[in-house]
Amino acid sequence: MSTFDTARAVAPEEADARRAEKQFLEVRDIHKRFAGVHALRGVSLSIERGQIYHLIGENGCGKSTLIKIISGAQPPDSGQLIIEGQAYSALSPIQALKAGIETVYQDLSLLPNLSVAENIALTQQLVESGGHLARRLDRRKLEATATRALAAVGLPGEARFMHQRVDELPIAMRQLVSIARSIATEAKMVIMDEPTTSLTKREVANLISVVDKLRAHDVAVLFVTHKLDECKAIGGRVVIFRDGQKVLEGDTQDYSKAELSYWMTGRHLDETRYRNEQPQDAALLAVRHLSRAGAFADVSFSLCRGEIVGITGLLDSGRNELALALAGVAPADGGSVELAGRQVALTRPADAIAAGIGYLPEDRLSEGLFLEKSIQANITAAVLNRLRGRFGTIDAERAAAMADRFVADLQVATPGTALPVQSLSGGNQQRVLLGRWLAIDPQLLILHGPTVGVDVGSKDTIYRIIQRLTGQGIGVVIISDDLPELLQNCDRILVMHKGRLSDDFVAAGLDENVLYEALAAEAGGDVKTAEAAA
Amino acid sequence: MKSEPKQAGLRDARTGSRAGLRAGLRAGLRAGLRAGLREFLLHYPAVFTLLLIILVSAVVGTINPNFWQLSTLFDMLRSSVVTGLFALGVLIVLAAGGLDVSFTAIAAFTMYAITVAVLKHAPNLSIGVIMLCGAVGGTLFGAVNGLLVHTLRAPSLIVTIGTQYVLRSLLLTFVGTALIINVPAAMESFGTLALWTYLPASGGRAILPAFVLVLVVAAGVTWWLLNRTLMGRAVFAIGGNLAVAERLGYNPRVVQVFVFAYAGLLAGIGGIVHVSSNRLANPFDLTGTELDVIAAVILGGARITGGSGTVLGTLLGVVLVTLVNNVLILAGVPSTWQKVIVGAFIILAGSMFAVRTAR
Repeated sequence: MSTFDTARAVAPEEADARRAEKQFLEVRDIHKRFAGVHALRGVSLSIERGQIYHLIGENGCGKSTLIKIISGAQPPDSGQLIIEGQAYSALSPIQALKAGIETVYQDLSLLPNLSVAENIALTQQLVESGGHLARRLDRRKLEATATRALAAVGLPGEARFMHQRVDELPIAMRQLVSIARSIATEAKMVIMDEPTTSLTKREVANLISVVDKLRAHDVAVLFVTHKLDECKAIGGRVVIFRDGQKVLEGDTQDYSKAELSYWMTGRHLDETRYRNEQPQDAALLAVRHLSRAGAFADVSFSLCRGEIVGITGLLDSGRNELALALAGVAPADGGSVELAGRQVALTRPADAIAAGIGYLPEDRLSEGLFLEKSIQANITAAVLNRLRGRFGTIDAERAAAMADRFVADLQVATPGTALPVQSLSGGNQQRVLLGRWLAIDPQLLILHGPTVGVDVGSKDTIYRIIQRLTGQGIGVVIISDDLPELLQNCDRILVMHKGRLSDDFVAAGLDENVLYEALAAEAGGDVKTAEAAA
Repeated sequence: MKSEPKQAGLRDARTGSRAGLRAGLRAGLRAGLRAGLREFLLHYPAVFTLLLIILVSAVVGTINPNFWQLSTLFDMLRSSVVTGLFALGVLIVLAAGGLDVSFTAIAAFTMYAITVAVLKHAPNLSIGVIMLCGAVGGTLFGAVNGLLVHTLRAPSLIVTIGTQYVLRSLLLTFVGTALIINVPAAMESFGTLALWTYLPASGGRAILPAFVLVLVVAAGVTWWLLNRTLMGRAVFAIGGNLAVAERLGYNPRVVQVFVFAYAGLLAGIGGIVHVSSNRLANPFDLTGTELDVIAAVILGGARITGGSGTVLGTLLGVVLVTLVNNVLILAGVPSTWQKVIVGAFIILAGSMFAVRTAR
């Protein structure tokens, strides 16, 4: 394999000089191609014990591929991995684990049907047996290891929790279980692929304290992330990838957020407010006393045409359930919703679609997209009845034209609409899903975490699209825990707490700390008094 | 709206009305109990199977008190053994996320080929060696299934439908089609060996056949494998999510070959027991009983989507299916109606367990 085109970001002599006993892993000149795409072009990286690294870059820059190669999920085409002086041309998952490389994958890689304890501690026994399965299961050891790891991440260690199936846990807790697994054994390096995506601020703080403990034990931690704020807050080394190459490596403190995002995207991004349209004077949505037992109660708010209202709150605040109720997925059991002056009953998703409500779900992979189907099939999925030709078949030409129009309109980067959606990066997938809802000519869009797992450059594009849509009179509800996102895009921000609306802010000029206080203050002291009153 | 009474109750409770408070509490308690029972059954599907067994027994026993006899129980156990062995094989393949329908063909091939070979070459072979031959033959066939499933990356249902056809055809073409009535002496005596004979004062007798022990041992070994070895956990890991399990260091090839080989082993032994208990070897036997076995495993709480299931639940499922197939006749239900009952139970169980409430 040719290595002529590689531009080494760090001079070899310099790397040699740093290579003391501190070095744990060296990645040397790694290349990887997928079906014609040169995903990694001669990447070299050195990981030292007790150091924190942030690997950042846009979707498709090759950072996930590098993680897979280090953790043994995929072999590189060429190059070397050197772990504590021992060189490998490729690793198997067991070899990587045995060497002390633990990975917290973005999809968490938990086994849904096994218990918390098994998810955390089975790997230890598997690694000790060298991957051989003809061994007795040491259940006492399993529980001891799990208890220790659970305590380290601040989860309960009692038997009832440990024996719960993982698919019965809420997402945030699953993330902690996944992290617990990575530190259950004597890890020397922990890779965390976007670990904070579904965590609230307090859980992130908890995670950071876990990372500090790891660093104190001389463990190297490699974050793969999009969140520049967190990268700056946690500190350590930053490594930036672009187009399969390392373009920057340095200390996080030496670079501003704007500089980092410039290195990631190669262009300067606007950090200020995106909101540039004015809402119209005509009322569009009126939600009155909407309730769903056990989720939220007595929620009332209104929204004008072309207005963007943000809704935020902690995980148990009922914000997610409110979104699902407005989308007809999990209907409300009390109250009413009026859209454009007409009362609408939202008892199933089809009701919402018929009324002109598009719902972008929080988890686009499992709730939104048909991953293996084409971009065209995904975009036209909600309007097939409108594309009916003669004999009730789908008019292929019109379907293709529709897909082409939205792909162009939403700037989806793809060579064609016949490709499966899973071939796209996260930001482009999200735009395809947005296209599906624009195809129904919506009056109202409910965007649930519209930029979760989407990189900075793509976020920028999505925000601009949202702003443009409001200019056409579409009303938008953004449900998100990404506070800067809400502040940059919304007219008003509603805060939910324990199933009820607690605050209604005007977004322009609102300070992020004020908003965060409104969210978190209630979670603290006020809870007890609220419960006592109830 | 459905929750009207409860809401009204709560509203009254707030204004201080005693009656309203009571109504609210009662509605809440009812809802809680309903949710609790559902949760409980979702966690312990075997309890649901047990309830169905009790229900069927109570109904049949009420209509025909002759049901309550030791001989009914022994007959049930006798007919459960072969189905039970097959079901344990289906369970372990299902737990690993696959589905095997070739076990009846494997059983038919090994039982008939071994019977023919033993009669021809070694008529005095002991039952232990015959059983071992059945186990080895079944294991080999099963391993071929596993290798095909792994290397072709094809759905195991399709692969095993294929091997089932191939095996049946090979059996009839090369081994024979004739019914064998004089089975080897060792098999004959193993089939009639009684573990315990009960002679009631009222006459008649109830015999507990010794081959019931084969199922007991197989169930024990399967339980131990699934719950007390790394292999067992790997089976569930692969059944839970193959890609993730692979990433975590589990070797899917080893696991897949193992589960199909193990299912083949049980099928081979099941075949030998089948010949021994019927005292005849028919190459056309067992065909078409695959669905009965899969139904039993599903009724035992295993999900068709894989990654779940217990040995206890599977055994209860086998008992339930055997019960419906054998004793409804005592209640005057024509045998043609049995499948309706089994079918209804499956739909009932499916709607209980398959649909999980959205979070």
